[in-house]
Amino acid sequence: MAESEEEVDVLVQRVVKDINNAFKKNPNIDEIGLIPCPEARYNRSPIVLVENSLGVESWCVKFLLPYVHNKLLLYRQRKQWLDREALVDITCTLLLLNPDFTTAWNVRKELVQCGVLNPERDLYLGKLALTKFPKSPETWIHRRWVLQRVLRECCPQGGVRKGQSEAGGVADGEATPRAERLQRVLQEEMKVCSEAAGRYPSNYNAWSHRIWVLQNMAKGNLKVLHDELSSMKLWVSMHVSDHSGFHYRQFLLKALVGELSQALDWASTHLPRPTADPHRAHQANGEAAAANGNGNGTEDRQRPGVPKLFEEEMELCTDLIESYPGHETLWCHRRHVFFLWHHWRLELSQTAGRHSDESPGGSPLHSAGAGSGAGEGGAKSTQAMDVDGALGGGAGGGASSYTQDSKRLKRGPLQPRPPALHSEHSFIAKTLSACRSPEQGRFAAAYRKWLDSVIAS
Amino acid sequence: MGTQVKDVVLKPDAPTTLLLDKHADYIAAYGSKKDDYEYTLSEYLRMSGIYWGLTVMDLMGQLHRMNRNEITAFIRSCQHECGGIGASIGHDPHLLYTLSAVQILSLYDDLNVIDVQKVVEYVKGLQQEDGSFAGDKWGEIDTRFSFCAVATLALLGKLDAINMGKAVEFVLSCMNFDGGFGCRPGSESHAGQIYCCTGFLSITGQLHQVSADLLGWWLCERQLPSGGLNGRPEKLPDVCYSWWVLASLKIIGRIHWIDKNKLRSFILACQDEETGGFADRPGDMVDPFHTLFGIAGLSLLGDEQIKAVNPVFCMPEDVLQKIGLHPELLS
Ligand SMILES: [Zn+2]
Repeated sequence: MAESEEEVDVLVQRVVKDINNAFKKNPNIDEIGLIPCPEARYNRSPIVLVENSLGVESWCVKFLLPYVHNKLLLYRQRKQWLDREALVDITCTLLLLNPDFTTAWNVRKELVQCGVLNPERDLYLGKLALTKFPKSPETWIHRRWVLQRVLRECCPQGGVRKGQSEAGGVADGEATPRAERLQRVLQEEMKVCSEAAGRYPSNYNAWSHRIWVLQNMAKGNLKVLHDELSSMKLWVSMHVSDHSGFHYRQFLLKALVGELSQALDWASTHLPRPTADPHRAHQANGEAAAANGNGNGTEDRQRPGVPKLFEEEMELCTDLIESYPGHETLWCHRRHVFFLWHHWRLELSQTAGRHSDESPGGSPLHSAGAGSGAGEGGAKSTQAMDVDGALGGGAGGGASSYTQDSKRLKRGPLQPRPPALHSEHSFIAKTLSACRSPEQGRFAAAYRKWLDSVIAS
Repeated sequence: MGTQVKDVVLKPDAPTTLLLDKHADYIAAYGSKKDDYEYTLSEYLRMSGIYWGLTVMDLMGQLHRMNRNEITAFIRSCQHECGGIGASIGHDPHLLYTLSAVQILSLYDDLNVIDVQKVVEYVKGLQQEDGSFAGDKWGEIDTRFSFCAVATLALLGKLDAINMGKAVEFVLSCMNFDGGFGCRPGSESHAGQIYCCTGFLSITGQLHQVSADLLGWWLCERQLPSGGLNGRPEKLPDVCYSWWVLASLKIIGRIHWIDKNKLRSFILACQDEETGGFADRPGDMVDPFHTLFGIAGLSLLGDEQIKAVNPVFCMPEDVLQKIGLHPELLS
């Protein structure tokens, strides 16, 4: 086939054009792929459009990539001039083949900056690249830059910081075109994250991006947090090994608890006497959220308060651990949820004790970092770590916990039954006695050791 | 649905001895096939690729086989007006490749090839108000870049150029309940990010802020029955993650908490007996990246055929001694 330099030149230019024509012909292309095909077929373009999928025959890639790659680098060194249209086309082809080519994304950033490239169109290219390269770090990094720009365009007066609260206010019903655009972009972004998470298990880049999106585009938006938490429930149940997906759930839980506690704090200064009783706190949540104007009052009343959230999460976790024994991810999830619960209660009692209006201040994670496991270091660090808890034996568990459990059951179904140390120990005991999978036993014992050394100490 | 433990099984005929000569030949030949399609694909990280190749050669006592003049001239032509260094000629500058270039020139004890003062200004200019570092002028934030910034400045003897208090504060804000670190506040713990953050805290003398036992626990849980380490729960073991976990354990003084012999067998099994080099897992394709981390891991495990490696900078100890750099390690 094409071997001489001029022939390659002609061939490649035709292919670049074919690719961009395909996008013009079908603006709904939603997937790209490589078609294994070692030989060129006479007089046929290597670009194939089947329904909404764009395929490139593999034989042409070894000509195509070096060509567009070198062309862009010559441009970057000011050795060759390319007009804006050509830059859009070349970076498109290049990034679909090699989405981690940072400099090509940077060229597109400049095209967005000077108005040649529409931000949404650019996000679309990234979305396509992610269908073939769902981890590509540079694609995710570029998306965050574009999203920040959209955010600034939608909320020009205060930059990103200010924009956060406005984006959060979108749900309040003020449907300006800017707010609608932001809402559309936010929803599309969640879809892109879900898709990439489905294509590659424990996709760190996809899930940490999703966290970034919430932190930057929906900060403090209770509705989005609740919607995410409930839509994630099915997803994690179907991906019980996906540690990143579960971490996202933990992030949502923590963010929700944080928001609800803030509302609670507000309530403690405006409503009658604050209380350390989680059940009272539960009632106060609804009132505080409603009073605080966080979205729709009646809707908030129907949403679960903090203890209920934790109860439901532990129930889900128990259910999954029993249905899918031996998954480390599920046991990690249990640790994290219990930890969040434990700290929420600690802070609540501290706040109530202080009778002041200052917020619980600082990250609970830090106090954990400084306090808990570190103390007993000296002696333990001289020998191999007993991660499994096989040597330790572990405390608690056993009959007394069961009794407390049954007492708790008698309180009836209406009050929330949040997690507790004794119920965790009876869960472990039950798991160990019924356990047929060696991994499950290992994880249960490690969890008991974790409770003993990190929570109880 | 049964449990499948995500791990590999080492074959009985897997390599059990270190094939040093093969690895040196593999790296020496790697750069010679420059027309290769793969070579184009990886040009966006060329500077780091050269750092991997040169460091592993130096650890094996074979640095003299690499073309020093060609490499230093290449690095010079990758520095931009702003002081930052790109991955290759014509590529935009970035902190990742700025660190790789400074590491390479430190191996050669030849830092004056580049404009050092401009590098310092570049790094300084990327620090944000909250203490974090952007990777380049476009503003992406990641704890990896905090590490790149302080590692670069430490090698240049210019740590005082940045706001250290704020930089430390940001990294600590990325600490999680399990003692680990993620790329940004709220992100999942990840062995690669943990390496960057413990390395950062070592260089800045702040390791007392780590909960060493809690983090050590999490890191030990990365060891699988095959002996290999993974980077997060329920991921496959991998030679590069074995390095990041092992180096982090070394930094926080908990390296004896894992089974060193089993890890050594796993790393040795990832060698390719024919081509030389290490792969991520036994039987996969080798590359310079995993070859460096395989050799560096064996060095940390005490292999005496290899030079001692520094766990923070992933460079030979003797190079750092010469510069007078002694990053903190917990005991
Ligand atoms: Zn790897």
